[in-house]
Amino acid sequence: MTGRPVTAETMPGLPVEQTAIPHPAVREWNGETYYDLASLKPSPFDWKIAAYVYVAGLAGSSQIIATLADRLGDGRDETIVRNGRALALAGAVIGAPLLILDLKTPGRFYNMLRIYRTRSPMSFGSYILTGFGVASGLTAAAHLIGERRADGSRSPMRRAADMTQVPAAFLGAGMSTYTAALLSATSTPLWASAPRAMAVQFGTSAMATAAAALSLGEQIAGDPENSRRLDGLAAVSAAGELVASAFAEKRHHEAGVGETLRKGPIGTSYRAGALALGLGVPLACHAINALSKRPSRGLSVVGSLALLAGGMVMRQAIFQAGNKSAERPDDYFRLTQREPEGAKPRRRVDRAIEGRRNGRDPGRLP
Amino acid sequence: MGVHPRALDYAESLPDGVIPDESELTCGTRIEPGKSYGFFTDTTLCIGCKACEVACKEWNGLPADNLGLTGNSYDNTGDLGANTWRHVAFVEKIGSGDDRAREMKPFQSNWLMMSDVCKHCANAPCLEACPTGSIFRTEFDTVVVQQDICNGCGYCVPACPFGVVELSLEDGKAHKCTLCYDRLKGGLEPACAKSCPTDSIQFGEIEDLFGRARRRVEDLHGKGATDAYLYGAPDTPGATGGLKHLNAFFLLTDRPEVYNLPVAPTRASDRVRPSFLTGLAAMAGLTLAAAALMSAGRERGR
Repeated sequence: MTGRPVTAETMPGLPVEQTAIPHPAVREWNGETYYDLASLKPSPFDWKIAAYVYVAGLAGSSQIIATLADRLGDGRDETIVRNGRALALAGAVIGAPLLILDLKTPGRFYNMLRIYRTRSPMSFGSYILTGFGVASGLTAAAHLIGERRADGSRSPMRRAADMTQVPAAFLGAGMSTYTAALLSATSTPLWASAPRAMAVQFGTSAMATAAAALSLGEQIAGDPENSRRLDGLAAVSAAGELVASAFAEKRHHEAGVGETLRKGPIGTSYRAGALALGLGVPLACHAINALSKRPSRGLSVVGSLALLAGGMVMRQAIFQAGNKSAERPDDYFRLTQREPEGAKPRRRVDRAIEGRRNGRDPGRLP
Repeated sequence: MGVHPRALDYAESLPDGVIPDESELTCGTRIEPGKSYGFFTDTTLCIGCKACEVACKEWNGLPADNLGLTGNSYDNTGDLGANTWRHVAFVEKIGSGDDRAREMKPFQSNWLMMSDVCKHCANAPCLEACPTGSIFRTEFDTVVVQQDICNGCGYCVPACPFGVVELSLEDGKAHKCTLCYDRLKGGLEPACAKSCPTDSIQFGEIEDLFGRARRRVEDLHGKGATDAYLYGAPDTPGATGGLKHLNAFFLLTDRPEVYNLPVAPTRASDRVRPSFLTGLAAMAGLTLAAAALMSAGRERGR
């Protein structure tokens, strides 16, 4: 953490004592808590929201891949386009009920669209999901009605699908990563301590799982060449996720909040499930395939399945570890020892510090 | 003498109706829409009687919960929650084990007591998190959950930097202190402040309270209680990280953590931009990688 510490210098409202008695709010925190009782309330989000984060990322990134395959492909990517569009729609269709079922008053789900708020990912995320669902639904429906003609030309319906896929793909980028902002914009220590790293972690995982799912589709359709390209994308994304995970862990460590994700059964599932199985295995499988002259179908399938499973374990572990960290007051108090980054020092404080450096007593601050 | 002259107009035991602007008689403040109101909780005056907890429950019709003993202290309430909007914390400053104090100063109880409440932050993270507009800022500059809008998404719960808001599983809505919104509308002082027998809880216009609190700190320092300081007033601990100030602020005499308060809480929504923009930048990079890999297919021979 690079924020400024809470001291008499940074808090002019604190009386500066002439005596040697340390000020209680300035005195170093020695780990005191209130009978070790929680200082925060954990989120009421359970496995359903974690599953939604997974499904939303997979669907959003699938739409991006499908759009790129449609725009840049050479006509032999039709199954990627079709499967990607189907996955995008499926994600919106499965994701929305997951969210609604997690509401404690689900009958009022439509109140989510009552206002719009840029400072609340829960609010703008609802619009991203709605827009993505509508655009993906139109794209998938138009695609289904107007498949590409045998001669390679596109029917009017198919052209309509190709138009709606563009906004869907842009919203897909939001779907892949807004959920990290949703978690970071809370007071939950684990989630609040690494906003940037977790956003990259969720985004890369979304792209990796989408590429893995589409690669499986190509294996089923019997196009190992397409599968190979998607495996390459999955490997690049997984490598990015590994780096982001390391950064997140570094941030957790610096803030002193990472224990719930490192230790206990959650730590084991995160390390074994999300990192080793979810990233290590697919990276190894795809690397072997990339280096060998005759890529193995089996390795590709194993790598894809491991990525898909690992992405889900990662989300579930981060949710559980975050909720647990909210119940540990020492985690929260360690995180809040300093003011966050970006808080600008005030001018009169600078003057007070300056006065002290010059050996003058700044006296009692206003 | 401390009695408002208008009080003589309502000397009978059973008044015919509500006394207009009653708050003027009970706490010297006239409640008018458009002004900022809040609580100044002076913990050096708290005697731990829990009258505020009881008055709050009675006025707001909140059900009892946690009927048990915590075994920690006289605090058997535990924390703020959906059904507890005032909570008196009891901190025994006697040490433990070998550090346990054997003797006490005369007339000192070694107990810190503090009536905790929703802080009604100037930049309230729960309000900013609420996707339905159910949590809103009232004409009295307080923060209230509208029960007829809330759909129980629960996002305000982890957003709160003080662990105040909670979902009730009885009705599936979020609940917290309303700073007696209904009483303020009727010109009444909030129930907890009115019932507080030592004026540890003071209700009033927020700027008045800040001034009163600063004078109180100076007064205490003059009397030798040099460890008194404000928590949640502008430029003090608690009013950190973009929260600006807390409309319910406190006078404390030990580290905030001792009272279960963070020394530098943050405004949760400040993390939306860094997180979302970084995420979108990552997606842009991944899209470029995907575009490169997808267009590589063009070079394949047919």
